[in-house]
Amino acid sequence: MSMEKWNNIPAWIRWPIYALLGILLLTIVQGVSDVDRLTKVSTSREMLRWAVPIFLAGLGGLFSERAGVVNIGLEGMLILGMWFGAWGSINYGPWIGLLIGIGGGAIGGLLHAVATVTFNVDHIISGVAINILAPAITRYLSDEVWGSPTTSPATSTPDVYDLPILGGGTVAGWESPDLLLEVTNLELPFISDVAGLLRGLVTNLHFVSLLAILLVPFTSWLIWRTRFGLRLRISGENPSAGEAQGINIIFYKYAGVIISGGLAGLGGAFISTELSGLFQGGNSAGRGFIGLAALIFGNWRPGGVLVGALLFGYVFGLDLKDLDGTASHALLLVNTVVLGAVAIWAATKNRVADTVLAAILAVGAFVWWLSADAVPGWWSNILPYVLVLLVLVFFAQRLRMPKALGQPYAKGGR
Amino acid sequence: MTAAIELIGITKRFPGVIANDDVNLTVEKGEIHAICGENGAGKSTLMKILYGMQPADEGRMLVNGEEVNFSTPNDAIDRGIGMVHQHFMLADQLTVLENIILGAEPTNGGVIKFKEAEAHLAKVAADYGLTIDPNDMIESLEVGERQRVEIIKVLYRGAEILILDEPTAVLVPQEVEALFDNMRELKAAGSTIIFIDHKLDEVLEISDSITVLRHGKTVASMPNEGVTAHDLAELMVGSELPTPETSESTVTSTVALDVREVTVADEDGRNVVENINFQIHKGEILGIAGVEGNGQSELIDAIIGTADIRQGAMSLLGTDISNMSVRKRRELGIAYVPEDRHVEGLMLDAPLWENAALGHQTQSPYGSRWLINRDGARTQTELIKEEFDVRTPNIDVSAHALSGGNQQKLIIGRELTSNPSLLIAAHPTRGIDVGAQAAVWEQIRTARANGLATLLISADLDELIGLSDTIVVMLRGRLVARLAPEDVTPRDLGAYMTGAATQNSDEAA
Repeated sequence: MSMEKWNNIPAWIRWPIYALLGILLLTIVQGVSDVDRLTKVSTSREMLRWAVPIFLAGLGGLFSERAGVVNIGLEGMLILGMWFGAWGSINYGPWIGLLIGIGGGAIGGLLHAVATVTFNVDHIISGVAINILAPAITRYLSDEVWGSPTTSPATSTPDVYDLPILGGGTVAGWESPDLLLEVTNLELPFISDVAGLLRGLVTNLHFVSLLAILLVPFTSWLIWRTRFGLRLRISGENPSAGEAQGINIIFYKYAGVIISGGLAGLGGAFISTELSGLFQGGNSAGRGFIGLAALIFGNWRPGGVLVGALLFGYVFGLDLKDLDGTASHALLLVNTVVLGAVAIWAATKNRVADTVLAAILAVGAFVWWLSADAVPGWWSNILPYVLVLLVLVFFAQRLRMPKALGQPYAKGGR
Repeated sequence: MTAAIELIGITKRFPGVIANDDVNLTVEKGEIHAICGENGAGKSTLMKILYGMQPADEGRMLVNGEEVNFSTPNDAIDRGIGMVHQHFMLADQLTVLENIILGAEPTNGGVIKFKEAEAHLAKVAADYGLTIDPNDMIESLEVGERQRVEIIKVLYRGAEILILDEPTAVLVPQEVEALFDNMRELKAAGSTIIFIDHKLDEVLEISDSITVLRHGKTVASMPNEGVTAHDLAELMVGSELPTPETSESTVTSTVALDVREVTVADEDGRNVVENINFQIHKGEILGIAGVEGNGQSELIDAIIGTADIRQGAMSLLGTDISNMSVRKRRELGIAYVPEDRHVEGLMLDAPLWENAALGHQTQSPYGSRWLINRDGARTQTELIKEEFDVRTPNIDVSAHALSGGNQQKLIIGRELTSNPSLLIAAHPTRGIDVGAQAAVWEQIRTARANGLATLLISADLDELIGLSDTIVVMLRGRLVARLAPEDVTPRDLGAYMTGAATQNSDEAA
């Protein structure tokens, strides 16, 4: 099948096929390297739990950057969401807590919008300022409210549930079958691996996780089918052109950046109420920054951001229960195969430098895999960034950032 | 019959300048009305007032006989006035349809009704005889097509009065003809068109009436009958008409630039300049004609050193420059007037004297290898200001405060006062007024008489024919014709440029 034909297939069919190929690769690697954690249900469950805040931050970045405002302050907004989410859930219960978390992040977004849109502060500088401000403010507030600068009391969170039929969830008192568990237990090669990974995505499901997944089609619809979306995009592509058609660019930039903060805030609230069960400084673990990486990886598209977040979440999630470093070690073999494929792909495009670089990296990963039994813990921490760098190096020509991203905008100016 | 537009006594002041001084304009329904004048004559300001982008300080505006008062473009749009800007207001990564409906989206609860929009667009396009594929990305369109999108965008909103701001500035002759055909169709369909231009033959070809502005005042308004380009130019300039004629030949036998079998590849490895040979002698102006995008820019890049050559060799006065750095080449005497002065020619936010030093910062009097000589640079800038008639209050204002013509004169002055042996001039008079144009031509002619070799690239074919000693035509990266300016017309050139006419390749080489 030619490349053009393949690219004409809708993304929602293409990506699951990529995913299946990926799982097939994991299964094979698992076969040769004698680890079983790569396709376990707990791995995919941890992947999703890690991926949700990354995705929400990345999706937030999408709203901001589609409106033309670089948002490196996502990390800070996520931290604000963490604190306010914790505070809200302690005082008003889990649901209100999530809402207040969104509000906390949105305040960070508003601050960024005032600085960048109204006062034309450089976007990076304002974002960095917010990243410095947020941990300081939350530390101060924690001390004032809870008497401890670093931790809060335990938070509360909505219950998790299992999806019916696929994951054995209960519907109106009827306990549905747990299909994926049964398939997993059959221990069929590959098929049971797929079922195991899928089961992690449908059991112990948190409301925010479900919402995050539903936000992908919703955001696509909002961005490409609605008036709001079109006007948001023109604000990031060519604001003067929008202004000439009587569009209030300032409004859409504000809207984009505030929504951005709200989504990052929801991601933060998810961390403090669900993941860690309390507010603790430093628990954001850079997920706002990784969200930004997911945004670039995902080419400023909602589905792409989700794929990026899941990929990064997988690396972190795998590492979490991988105390001896053997599973992450097995990933090196995956890297070898993927980089080898990139080398071949680049060779067919006559891109010599890319081919050589990918081949060297593939060989390097393979040699490392051969020469060691485990990898140190820092490796999985830097892997997401390494991935983004590799994507930028090899696929930069295919990436399309909004054209007026980061440029100051003044009404009536050029 | 009431006029479509009537402007009475419009006055607009900016700090220190009167842009429009008691301007009157009457545009009848269903006519094509040209407004001409030099840059800075107040045409754009007048149109911005009419389109609601700026308020007038004094005066009245009547649209279809009714007094109006616009505070935003939306008010003008509501009255059926639409404007096609000189710089396209399009988003490259949006589709044609998205660009057109922007700001006037048909929606149902905020959801865009794309089907309905597409149907309305198809109807508008059919009514006015314009064709366009609504689902193309703007970035995939040619300049002429983009302009058509702009026109349709205005018609989509129901505009009956169209303002076209220098629509031909970006088009090649064949595209201009297509535009004029479209304009005639629009007129036949009942539209009124106000058309700003300073290419006089175009004005005479397409317009029904002409209004001439000079220094913010209306100097004439007349029907297009028995008017000649010469009359119009004198009205615009208010003095003798400049022409780009070079007098007698000053070509010498000394070769200044020798380009031998040069090939340049783009990022994808395709040859965009292929096996080019030419020589420019001292005192000679070699003109390159060609539709934009046929390798001219890449050829310039290769000569000034911002692009590598894949094959071939270049020498300047006998010195091989093929692998020299840009800096070395500049120091050796290559002067460069770039195509887009805002991108490559100036630092818009920097003062004039810094701009004058740009490119010569390592040479006396601007500086030495490591340091800038402020006094020397300032003295030299004052000299340029005087000699090249750069109109500015002082040399400390930033470059963006100058009009296009004065910016260009500064660049020409900077390049020519450095005593170059080769001048590369890309579109040296693009977007500047008749007065500045004449000054630029005069400077190039003087330098030629003093033995300067010049490579001239221009989309203004009259300029090319008038100034050049030799003209070559570039098509798809190759030189396809070599012509004597005495016996070639713009129409002939156009045919070579598009490949409609060909010349034996031996002659071209």
